[in-house]
Amino acid sequence: MIPGEPGSSTKPVSKYRSQFRIYVDVMQVIQREKNQAKPTRILYGANLSHDRLIKYLEELKSLGVIQESGTEDKVYSLTQKGIEFMNNFKKVESFASAFGFRI
Amino acid sequence: MLLAIAQPLAWFLGFDSLMEFIAFVIAAAVAYQALKGYRLSKERTLLYLHFSFVLIGAGLLVDGLSSIVVLLSQFHRGFVVLYALGYTINFIAQLIAYGLLVFAYLQQTRNISAQFAATAVVSALFFERNAFAELILIFLLVYITAHTAMNYSVSKATNSMLVFGAFASLTIAHFFFLMFILVPIFFPLAHIAQLLGFLLLLGMLLRVNQPS
Repeated sequence: MIPGEPGSSTKPVSKYRSQFRIYVDVMQVIQREKNQAKPTRILYGANLSHDRLIKYLEELKSLGVIQESGTEDKVYSLTQKGIEFMNNFKKVESFASAFGFRI
Repeated sequence: MLLAIAQPLAWFLGFDSLMEFIAFVIAAAVAYQALKGYRLSKERTLLYLHFSFVLIGAGLLVDGLSSIVVLLSQFHRGFVVLYALGYTINFIAQLIAYGLLVFAYLQQTRNISAQFAATAVVSALFFERNAFAELILIFLLVYITAHTAMNYSVSKATNSMLVFGAFASLTIAHFFFLMFILVPIFFPLAHIAQLLGFLLLLGMLLRVNQPS
């Protein structure tokens, strides 16, 4: 399970991205890149600064949902656990959006 | 109330419980799916959705069971009180459940404080069960239906359409429950509309969980 971060009531919804949402955005970029994504692609795709990208990639690696390969040109891919997570997430997102809830 | 409907609609008693048991199973499935979603995402609106359908399911189960007991007792005077009690528990459970759903939608749009929404729901509980209290339930359902209709108009997704259809059916069902006080034939119509609403939710659940 990936821990989420509940939204703050003081910030507008449209501008606030929870930690969970950023994790998902990063993993979606990796999935879109046919499970072989370079850091630059993830950085632009998930709309993150370089420092935050490094932080989130490390966190996702420690959760065991992505893995790093390559020595100089690093490439990130989803692990089996990551693929299963994304499959479950799609179902949850589909369920929540049917009721009009955003995740 | 039971005695009022027992004469012209005696043929329907028993079927109403069956329909409520089916609706209870579907409500439990929706609650379970919402809990799974909450565990994955920690999104609080899914937790509200979970508790909302737990309450709806519990209310339907209690109401269905009380009807069955009264039917099996062959309308013994002592058991008829059970029917009214079951209906009241179901009514209060639905009032809190739909209030929670409205709160979840308001939380998302953040147009209202949590305290205000909670006060609105709790104060509604102090009304006695009557046509006016039933109108509060319809009002909550109309709000939810309008929200799901807007969601469907934006997304144009089949699942959103099914959820909108479900809440529209539930709104119609409660309108029929209100009308049944005047015209008994609305009682079976209300149960049919209620079951249709839950079947549409089942359709959405099956679509969400079909293998990709």
